[in-house]
Amino acid sequence: MSAQTWIVMTEAAQAQALLAAASPWDGRTTAVVVGGAALARHVADLGVSEVLWWEQDPGLPADAYAPAVATLAEQRRPRLLLSTTAPAARALVGAAAARLGASVVAGATLLRDEGERVVIERPALAGRVIETLACPVPVAVVLGAMSAPTPADSGTATPARIVQMPADGQLLELELQASEPTATAGVRTAPRVVSVGRGLRSAADVALIETLAAALDAEIACSMPVADDLGWIDKDRYVGRSGQHIAPRLYLAIGISGAPQHMEGVRQARVVVAINTDPDAPIFRSADYGIVGDLYDVVPALVEALDGRTFSHL
Amino acid sequence: MKVVVIYSWSRDPEAPSVRSDGSVDFHNAKMVPGEDDPAALDVAKEIADGLAAELVGLTVGDSDASWALARGVSHATRVDGIPDYVDDAATAAVLAAAVRRLGDVGLVVIGDPDRRAGVPVTLAGLLGWPGLVGVHAASVRHGRVHAARRTGDREETVVLSLPAVIGVVATGTDTRTPGMKEILVARKRPCDTVVGADLGVPENEPVVLRGTRLPEASGARLLGGSSGQVAASLVSALRAEGVL
Repeated sequence: MSAQTWIVMTEAAQAQALLAAASPWDGRTTAVVVGGAALARHVADLGVSEVLWWEQDPGLPADAYAPAVATLAEQRRPRLLLSTTAPAARALVGAAAARLGASVVAGATLLRDEGERVVIERPALAGRVIETLACPVPVAVVLGAMSAPTPADSGTATPARIVQMPADGQLLELELQASEPTATAGVRTAPRVVSVGRGLRSAADVALIETLAAALDAEIACSMPVADDLGWIDKDRYVGRSGQHIAPRLYLAIGISGAPQHMEGVRQARVVVAINTDPDAPIFRSADYGIVGDLYDVVPALVEALDGRTFSHL
Repeated sequence: MKVVVIYSWSRDPEAPSVRSDGSVDFHNAKMVPGEDDPAALDVAKEIADGLAAELVGLTVGDSDASWALARGVSHATRVDGIPDYVDDAATAAVLAAAVRRLGDVGLVVIGDPDRRAGVPVTLAGLLGWPGLVGVHAASVRHGRVHAARRTGDREETVVLSLPAVIGVVATGTDTRTPGMKEILVARKRPCDTVVGADLGVPENEPVVLRGTRLPEASGARLLGGSSGQVAASLVSALRAEGVL
């Protein structure tokens, strides 16, 4: 039987979460990849059954391959298609779902196999409840904030076969005119990030946060209002759905309520610490450690507690 | 040519009461515009101006059609009698039929929120048009639509051929409220209602909402004591976690 579960990828991020989501359908998972050869090889090493790969033309966004992916879906008829929220991957899955007449559900944090149904759980009402949805197959699922499992050691696994797919002229009229690295590579790759929200009272107080960041050997980031409405920190350092998506080992959120659009940007953080005066702030629902207190008391105390400490190179 | 901006209204997620068994009481929960809709409208206006196209609004269900009319849209259509689907493909099918009914549409601009992350892309697929989502800004240069978005650690500029669908994410919080003048003008602008059943969208087997439950208890370990004590406790815990 051909693989009936597809994971659709245009970038390497969250590959393990996609595989974990596909795991209830034990066995044969096809990876559908649009990107460079390095991405295809990376995916082939992850334990999938096969990699169907379109080599991305540098002048085209990956989204342009949507008709080709949809045609293949029509031929192979997968029962379940999975993607992350990455824009191009979603575009491919959306085109395939439209061609298959599949249902489409976004924000899934858990998937279960019930034979002719895929059961999905996802947060609703800003994380206050969890919805359970029963979806007929075929269904396309855009993952939400699933916890990323520790990458499996694939050192001894045999890489999956990579099948290069022809586009055969099935490309959308999209032209990638520019693709530039964002200015804040430091925030994206930093092992520690200190981020501040509207709990900060003035622009001058950013210096307090910088002091803590220096004590932690961390990069500075912020929530959307601090960058957009207030302009206290550069927009390139805003973390959230439409801003930076980061995966630090430590994310220290200071005076940030934890709106879903913000938490989307730190779903891959390993340890999240929240400092907030409001004990009911949503961020305490997803943080690992919480301090209910005034940042103007807690941050100086943290600086003092960290003073003179040395840090490992993470 | 028309540029269509699609907007939606839904219940304020913070408003409904959640009972102890995880069920939800939506009684009196106020309706609010979609989080990305103001940004989508800004993008749609920019492109409609650049292309000298007519800007029209399209909404479904219990939305307040005047929201867009008071913000510069010349004409709005509301599709009535459509439930709040949990299946993004069902929503996209209704929108695709409504867009086809409008006719002469060159571009559809729609908000791209996480919870409805499947709507814009499936809409593009159903229309058979290029779709680009995650867009935060767009403009018209030399008669072509240029859209900007961030993917991973890169900022992309993509040029689209029309017709197309653009999904917009907000990079700011919209605080603008139309004044009385705009509201009065909106009342004079045309707004028609289409019965959903008249769109002829085939009904597929539905995605069923089985219920809601409370999330597992918070994973946050709350640290207590004086500022000095919580700071020391946190540093100690982070050392143990191996993240310092």
